[in-house]
Amino acid sequence: MPSWDEFQPFIVTGLALGGVYALSGVGLVVLYRATGVLNLAFGAVGAMGALIAWELINNAGWDDYPAYLMCILFGGVVTLAYGLLFGPPLANRDPLVKATASLGLALILLGTMSWIWSDKARSMVLPTSNENFMVSDVLVNYTQVIGFAFGVVVTFATAAFLRYTGLGTAMRALANDREITATLGVPVRRVEAAAWLGSGLLAGVAGLLLSNLVGLDATTLTFLVISSLAAALIARLQSLVVTLVAGIVVGLVNALITPILSISEYRDMTPFVLAIVALLWLSRHREISISRSA
Amino acid sequence: MIEVSDLRVRFGGVTPIDGMTVTFPAGTCGLIGPNGAGKTTFFNVLSGFVKPAGGSVTAFGEDLLRMADFRRARWGLRRTFQTEQAIEKLSLYDNVALVHEHSGQGRATRDEDVLGALGFVGLEQDPNTKVGTLGARDRRLVEVARAVVGKPRVVLLDEPAAGLPDEETQHMGSVIRRIPEHMGALVILVDHDMSLVSACCEVTAVLDFGKLIASGPTEEVLRDEQVMRAYLGTEEAA
Amino acid sequence: MSVATEPRPRSPLSPGRVSSGDARRAVVIVALLAFVLFAIPTLLSVFWLKVLTGAAIYSIVALGLGILMGRVGLVSLGQIAVLALGAWVAAKLFFDTGLPFPIVLLLSGLITMVLGTFVGLPALRLGGLYLALITLMMAGAITVVIAATDFPNGGPGFLAHVESSIGGGDQVRRPAIAETDPAYFRYTVIVTALMFLVALWHVRSKAGRAWEAIRQSEPAALAAGVNMTLYKLWAFALASFLTGVAGALLAANVGDLFNYQFPTSQNITLLAVVLMGGIYSLWGAVIAGLLFRYLPELLDSWNLPADLLTILFGIGVLQVLLTAPAGIVEQFPKDMARLGRAIGRLVGIGRSR
Repeated sequence: MPSWDEFQPFIVTGLALGGVYALSGVGLVVLYRATGVLNLAFGAVGAMGALIAWELINNAGWDDYPAYLMCILFGGVVTLAYGLLFGPPLANRDPLVKATASLGLALILLGTMSWIWSDKARSMVLPTSNENFMVSDVLVNYTQVIGFAFGVVVTFATAAFLRYTGLGTAMRALANDREITATLGVPVRRVEAAAWLGSGLLAGVAGLLLSNLVGLDATTLTFLVISSLAAALIARLQSLVVTLVAGIVVGLVNALITPILSISEYRDMTPFVLAIVALLWLSRHREISISRSA
Repeated sequence: MIEVSDLRVRFGGVTPIDGMTVTFPAGTCGLIGPNGAGKTTFFNVLSGFVKPAGGSVTAFGEDLLRMADFRRARWGLRRTFQTEQAIEKLSLYDNVALVHEHSGQGRATRDEDVLGALGFVGLEQDPNTKVGTLGARDRRLVEVARAVVGKPRVVLLDEPAAGLPDEETQHMGSVIRRIPEHMGALVILVDHDMSLVSACCEVTAVLDFGKLIASGPTEEVLRDEQVMRAYLGTEEAA
Repeated sequence: MSVATEPRPRSPLSPGRVSSGDARRAVVIVALLAFVLFAIPTLLSVFWLKVLTGAAIYSIVALGLGILMGRVGLVSLGQIAVLALGAWVAAKLFFDTGLPFPIVLLLSGLITMVLGTFVGLPALRLGGLYLALITLMMAGAITVVIAATDFPNGGPGFLAHVESSIGGGDQVRRPAIAETDPAYFRYTVIVTALMFLVALWHVRSKAGRAWEAIRQSEPAALAAGVNMTLYKLWAFALASFLTGVAGALLAANVGDLFNYQFPTSQNITLLAVVLMGGIYSLWGAVIAGLLFRYLPELLDSWNLPADLLTILFGIGVLQVLLTAPAGIVEQFPKDMARLGRAIGRLVGIGRSR
């Protein structure tokens, strides 16, 4: 069993990753509540944004920060475009159908990424990754701080947004009952578009951070969405704060298993196992309701 | 005989059934009431889709609420739905056979029972026709055929003639009237069409806001002042 | 029970007998099979025969998923992981026992079926989306475990794995009568045809009727007395059995599973090709198998990137879901059904009789 010292660096990576899982989870949950779409292409969108940023920096001579901005914007634009095109025709379908459709988007993005960039190893280093400081005996870099901090900030900012702003209240109304909200004169399509855009921007941010914390590889980044999904599912696709806590737990457990050599090979199972346990536990009284209307 | 005692159903802040106590004696019994009175909810309790908060339902001496939902069909509970639910991709024969084979009847009598049920409701087409190709009248008749095949004990009909023109409604009425005698089942008919109800049902119960407000011979119930007020509101009936 | 005065409908064909339409279809299929079994091995090189063997294998997997989706309305995002599991079980049986090939096929199917049902059981109470997500999670977990333990290749112990850098260890054996690639191709095609027969028999039986009721309307199925959990489980069991058999065929086709990949993304690609091939007809599975395994190699041989296919599949998913009638992969959405009935009533009343 490794010592406390050996665990320490993994606590840091775990918290950082957990924060990003949380902010992705929030993006997934808010979009789901507002539109009924569980966007399984969330990771793919972020991955492609990160690759675009890499391309701009390394092959087009752009400066770092404008390229990062493009990554985030790409996330927002692609997600919004998908939402505008495929949201309305699928609006009345079952959540399962909507989620399956998002897999179509994921495939398109995966294929495009593989075609343009193939599987070569790449890396993109955010400037904040080069600046670090010591906390007790552990080296912490600023990207990790951002990862964790963004997770917390985004969760509470989004919760406040949903509660206190007009647009946020409209989104909550939509989540509750789409038909009634429409009859109340709320511009449903515009509110949904806002949800798509916001969620997409978060996807871009997550892609950027993960490309640093984990690595710039299309497939890996795409399927990291599963960890965020695990957090969102543990929160029953409802509570943002639970999403935050769950995301951090997923990140931490995953990281902390790394130094335990006997089971280290299996650590990638963490988000899966946690999600399965959570789903089965929550379903024991057949209480789970995935329909958006109450 | 079906005895309902102090049945209560609550969900989502609403109380669709609020202390319902009534007895359905035999033959064809009507169940009427304004929209939202709780009639379909009552059927859903009987079917097992909704768990009541309290009360009991005893059918032919057996505690119906104790049985698992899908087992009630085997016991002999059948129903049709307000928005008709015939299975489109299956043929007429298969739709009815579906109920037959899950109700504990043997394979040997299946052909005879299924064809008998289809004939009983007056469906004359090739039984291999896919239900999805049929019109509303035939689909509703298939649902009724499903409800009467085998050995039904209780048949719940939820607005079986909704949306059908007069001629079809009359045909439906003549089919319904013959069910207790030929199938030996107790029928509860929910409908808004009073002429259908009075043509088929000897006795009728009236629900309003989840409670029973009248029951007895159909003619008397339909003339009852309380019933008219429930349907028309508190204004004087014209 | 019959009422003498009512006109009797004509007696339908009893389910056991075959209609004239069926007989015609059977003749076509037999002719096609004969062509595939006897003509194709002479026309294609060994490489392409191996590819088509793979296509047949994946069509069995697609068959399982197609039944789940098209007949019962359940989505599994983990069938490739089940395939890997089947291959693992088969490899272990091949190396640890001397059982004849067909027995190993059957056992792989049965063991995978038990495992698949075991996985499915607690998940079946959940609704469609959550079930799909659980299958995705389980697939991920299985993939990690298999990646860590590798495939059996003649080594010792339970895991039966011998470490080596280039995949040493033994090859999975093939049936004595079908050791060459062309012979194995024929063998696989025959097994595939048998699996399709198994599926067809199910669909035409009591289970098929119950599945169709569940797919269209769970309340109606319940009211008809269908034990939903049992029949959903049955569908899962059938899909797992088929995929397990496919896994065994795969293990023997590849021989050495060392470098064979079962990446998570393939679960999604499989879903795409099954949707595109069509989930209502069993033929759709054949198309799916060809899309999945044959088309990428074809593109590769023309020096086109296989990634184009991934993009195409993504577009295919969207197209199918957008244009499919309500009823594909659906649970029972109340608004859709009411709309459908309203339209049906209009159409019904408008029709002359």
